[in-house]
Amino acid sequence: MSNDAPSIIDPTAAPAPSRGRAPTPGRRPSTRVYWLYLLPGGIALTVVIIVPFAMNLWYSLHKWKGGLAPMRWIGFDNYVDLMSDDAFWRSFQNSLWMIVAMVIVPTLVGIVLAAVLFDVVGKNIGTRTASFLRAVYYLPQILPIAVAGIVWNWIFNAETGALNEILRSLGVTDPPNWLGVPGLALPAVMIVLVWIQIGYPTVIFMSALQRVDPELYEAAEIDGAGWYRRFRAITIPQIRPETFVITLTCTIAALKVFAPIYVLTRGGPEGSTLVPSYYTFLNFFDKSKIGYGAAVATVLTFVIIVVAVVIQSLQARAERREEEGR
Amino acid sequence: MRIRSALSAVAVGALAVTMAACGSGNGGSTGDGGGSDASGGADGELSCGEITFWHYEGDDSAMNQSWLVAIDEWEAATGGTVTVEKQTFEQLQKNAKIVLTGDDVPDVMEYNKGNGTAGQLASQGLLTELDDYAADYGWDSVLPSSIQTTARYDEDGLMGSGPWFGVPTYGEYVTVYYNEEMFADNGIEVPTTFAELEAALDAFVAAGITPLAEAGAEYPMGQLWYQLVLHHADRDFVDAFQLFDGDVDFTSGPLKDGTDTLQEWIDKGYINPNASGLTAEDMGVAFIAGKYPVMVSGSWWFGRLNAEISDFTLGQMIFPENSLNAGSSGNLLVIPTNAKEKDCAASFIDTALAQGAQNKLAELGGLPVAGDASVITDENVKVLTQNWDAIVADDGLAFYPDWPVAGFYDQVVSFGQSLLNGSKTPDQALDTLGTFYQEGRADITGE
Repeated sequence: MSNDAPSIIDPTAAPAPSRGRAPTPGRRPSTRVYWLYLLPGGIALTVVIIVPFAMNLWYSLHKWKGGLAPMRWIGFDNYVDLMSDDAFWRSFQNSLWMIVAMVIVPTLVGIVLAAVLFDVVGKNIGTRTASFLRAVYYLPQILPIAVAGIVWNWIFNAETGALNEILRSLGVTDPPNWLGVPGLALPAVMIVLVWIQIGYPTVIFMSALQRVDPELYEAAEIDGAGWYRRFRAITIPQIRPETFVITLTCTIAALKVFAPIYVLTRGGPEGSTLVPSYYTFLNFFDKSKIGYGAAVATVLTFVIIVVAVVIQSLQARAERREEEGR
Repeated sequence: MRIRSALSAVAVGALAVTMAACGSGNGGSTGDGGGSDASGGADGELSCGEITFWHYEGDDSAMNQSWLVAIDEWEAATGGTVTVEKQTFEQLQKNAKIVLTGDDVPDVMEYNKGNGTAGQLASQGLLTELDDYAADYGWDSVLPSSIQTTARYDEDGLMGSGPWFGVPTYGEYVTVYYNEEMFADNGIEVPTTFAELEAALDAFVAAGITPLAEAGAEYPMGQLWYQLVLHHADRDFVDAFQLFDGDVDFTSGPLKDGTDTLQEWIDKGYINPNASGLTAEDMGVAFIAGKYPVMVSGSWWFGRLNAEISDFTLGQMIFPENSLNAGSSGNLLVIPTNAKEKDCAASFIDTALAQGAQNKLAELGGLPVAGDASVITDENVKVLTQNWDAIVADDGLAFYPDWPVAGFYDQVVSFGQSLLNGSKTPDQALDTLGTFYQEGRADITGE
């Protein structure tokens, strides 16, 4: 996940000694050698990203069933069709809910959890307990999604699932049909996603908190600031770079989410949990509408690029403002 | 290397291409039993070396056991050897198209029947046409006509007409399993007619028992729907719906009547609406646990039901008064175009259709296409096979509801969920399904 945007890790946080320095006289002749080091990455980028992307773009301008079937050039017809495709729009609408479940909720909960673990548990009970709890929160991230999906399927099973068994034992006579009803399946999937995601921001924020200068807290404490005040005035601004990293990587992950949907609901019931990447998959593999699926994938790629650029520029602006403020 | 794997990934996408059949049924003769002799064939005395056989059936499965018999017989008859290389279903499904273009291919291979799979390979020139072998070995007279449908593909890979590209050795069909104890305990007679079936289901509901084990998140609900459609249908409807031989009406006729019946069944409480989120596995486990008296599903459940049910007696019957039932041939044995020992491969396939292998299949409940039910000792297996023989003899296989057009499976699942959840009326749900069907069909036939 973190390799989605390695470049945005805050450059001001810990500037490498060599970075800001003027080029030394001996450096200029050797720049050409540096290009050699870029070669493997450049080749990989071309082969893994640029070529498939170009092919995808090319396919999206055709009507094609795949294999040896003839390809027919249809220009932008696939994109025009997308505009009036309810399933396409529903899938992107669901993407917004995925962002709620994978970015907004986990980030907010993650900040609080990290602060509690770091400030309260770590200081009053012991760092070992804090580390243990951190590992526990991170566990769902390590668990293979297929395994987690099967377990959650058991939990949500309307007839024999653990959740409904508990509800029945509490006296609920007609517990919900979690994954079977359109209105409930999306919230159920979101619960699973929150559970999966929560460890990631928690771990990042905890390491961020360790980076914050303790003197700031001490000074604030002497000035009589309470825990909440210190949290607002010191913690939040200090860990802003990490917040941006998490927001960006998780938003991208939320937009392209596939596996949890595939394992839990396959986009159902009645298409209520359809997301763009699963819709692409359906078109490619089930309906064998390669061109149409490619068009959905292309739109998704552009949406991700736009979102990434917006978040990055927000971050850049925030950093600028901070620099100026100093 | 990487470019190639990127291209392969695209090629894999192509594998998933599913189209549907057009044209009418074929002219093969009917009748089961008989078999053909293992040593026959065009070449008279055939001497063979080593042939390679790829398949993906489990060691204990009836298919594997029957093929082991075929291997022994074939090796004894020809002096050759069969090298079995086990594959996984997924592996072959995704890679066959790429692997078969190379030189290192098997001589005989198991492959999934249907337009999207074997049909696709056939249309891409990756499979050997078997017409001459079929005539020489008499497969065209041994195999019943509705079994032959899935063996033949036209140039677009659509099943039902064109040359032979594969040979099925077993079959499968949708049947009614029931829990004899639950019927007896509630004083309900086992039905023999459709009206009696509905009366029995009513009686269970009155006794506070949901009668049908179902699963709306996967195939079972769609198959129950198709059984009810077939209850109102004839062969012409199946030809129109599956093979595009004639128009299909989604506003009246079998589809409308079957859907209305299904809605009635849901309304009367035969099916728990919670089924909309359940999988086939959930359904089977609940039936095995004795929670539901009736389960309408495929013969592929039989082995497990027969082995795992210990608390009650398993009953089976053909869906009452249905002359047509969901079902088809099993997977095919095919010979890749690049195979080196084609004649020997064909003679091996013929051995798999001969009495020895077919009777082994029959004994184990594997539904032989040319076997003899009298060799069966297990009572349940006997019933399963006799019902199968009756359906096949009656030309009663109607394939599966999701076969006609690409991507129809998800539509059928969603259709069933709409009915279970009551989010659409039967007419609205049928309308959505019909629109998708007609578009998909137009895509294929180019009309």
